[in-house]
Amino acid sequence: MARNLKSKKRQERIANHVTLVVLMVLSAIVMLPIWWIFRSSLMSNGELFEWPPTFLPKRWLFSNYKKTLEFYPFWKYLKNTMTIILPAVLGGTITATMGGYAFARLRFPGKKFLFSLCIGSMLLPTMVTLIPLYIMWTRGLNLVDSYLPLILPYFCGGGAFNIFLIRQFISTIPRELDEAATIDGAGHFRILVSIIMPAIKSAMIVVALLLFIQMWNDLLQQIIYINSDSKFTIAIGLSQFKGSLKSDWSAIMCATCMSFVPGVVFYLLGQKYFVEGIVMTGMKN
Amino acid sequence: MTNQLLKSEARTAYLCLLPSIIGLVVLTYIPLAAVFGLSLFRWEGVGVPQWVGLKNYVRLFSRDPYFKDAICATVYFAFLSVVGSMVYSLFVALLLNRQIPARGFFRALFYLPYVLPAMAVYIGWSWLYETNFGLFNYLLSLVGIKKVMFIGSSKMVIPSLALITVWLSGNLIVIFLAGFQNVPRIYMEAAETDGANAWQRFWRITIPCMTPIIFYNLLMSLITNLQVVTPALALTNGGPGNSSCFLSYLMYVYAFRNGKLSYACAIAFVSFLLIGVFTLVLFATSKTWMFSAGGDD
Repeated sequence: MARNLKSKKRQERIANHVTLVVLMVLSAIVMLPIWWIFRSSLMSNGELFEWPPTFLPKRWLFSNYKKTLEFYPFWKYLKNTMTIILPAVLGGTITATMGGYAFARLRFPGKKFLFSLCIGSMLLPTMVTLIPLYIMWTRGLNLVDSYLPLILPYFCGGGAFNIFLIRQFISTIPRELDEAATIDGAGHFRILVSIIMPAIKSAMIVVALLLFIQMWNDLLQQIIYINSDSKFTIAIGLSQFKGSLKSDWSAIMCATCMSFVPGVVFYLLGQKYFVEGIVMTGMKN
Repeated sequence: MTNQLLKSEARTAYLCLLPSIIGLVVLTYIPLAAVFGLSLFRWEGVGVPQWVGLKNYVRLFSRDPYFKDAICATVYFAFLSVVGSMVYSLFVALLLNRQIPARGFFRALFYLPYVLPAMAVYIGWSWLYETNFGLFNYLLSLVGIKKVMFIGSSKMVIPSLALITVWLSGNLIVIFLAGFQNVPRIYMEAAETDGANAWQRFWRITIPCMTPIIFYNLLMSLITNLQVVTPALALTNGGPGNSSCFLSYLMYVYAFRNGKLSYACAIAFVSFLLIGVFTLVLFATSKTWMFSAGGDD
């Protein structure tokens, strides 16, 4: 019996070693594109168009970045992008938390119906509603070349998935906490702000991160709603930049790498909470 | 007294839900109705819309030169992307679920592509796919395969774009991982005591417990990928020819480049129906393979 256990432990150890090796190889493959883009940003164009290509630049030309920044207004684009993203992320996180709280804790008529409307909208493709919304914002409300059509929708619940995520998370928190507060005379809003919100911090960070990524990637709506150069976001700016340069790949790769940075930083800051946040919600249905 | 308490509770609830309700009604369900309504008119953004009934749809299915190809390209892309990213992310999540050193590091690494802005990803990959000096043709040349036009040939463009989607599927990995960690330990221990080996435990316990998560991921990635538009916007402009002219991209071109707003609405509605059919099929078949632990919450 003891021997059996020992051999089992050994088996387990071997399996873990194999897993580790496979993971290392796989992650090298997954990282390769990013490395290749980064290494290209440090090469001269002459070196880029050499055959065979090399994995490391001969000389690491960090000066490429300085040169690129001279004609690629990265900081302006970043500022514009953040002007859209920050309020939207804030609004989305707060309204999703409020919605999730109501679904998780409060009793009210029509709860089931509203909840299924909410979950149903998760299945509804966003592309479908694009044109009516475009007409509403630009014709109905006259918001042409404005950031508001990109920001305001996020103040309306932050998306069904996020409401659902917050609701699931809140249901894991013992109700006794709220009840104790109720006895102390706290209203529902007080409970939400002073008891629930501190307890679901990691879920709120997950929601914020998901919203950030969603907006970061939403090229189509940015193209539709933004017209003037001075309002371009990183995504539109980058595509313009590439269109104007055609084959100066070294500069294009510099610009590409620069636009990688904000997302990565934001992710690394919230990373710690991330998986635990999603695990805690119990994603069971 | 209790009645009043309940009333105040309901009032708070509606207040909390007000933004979401506005979002659902004004930004989701009304536009859904509007897209169908508008598709029954002829309207190019100016003047008074003209009632044409189902003519837009008739034209789409009978005379539109791009529509059928767009549906094929979309379904083909979605199929490759969904299958590829499901297999890839389930496999990676399985590996990451083991007790290995630096797990957090690996997890972060596989998720990383997902947090990069789409535009930058596609531009970066267009350089990797470059025919003469790109990474992929270099790697192929190392094993003696002749140069391939990845983006430039109508045969390769869809698989090439799908590969990028697979690379970007870090979010699925995280959700799978969360699912694995919610598989009840008790089942595992019971099976172990009964002498089930690792392989049996995986197929008889882990996978059945995971089916709801698999279903969720499958559904969400199907819906997302059937709406695909970004690669065409950022990289291919629907080309070469119209081989990557996806349904959503076609809608975009008609609506925002040619100003045919109501005609584009018909495309949007067809796209809605297409996704609806796939969703229904998935729901209907799920009963046969989805494991339920009995009773929903």
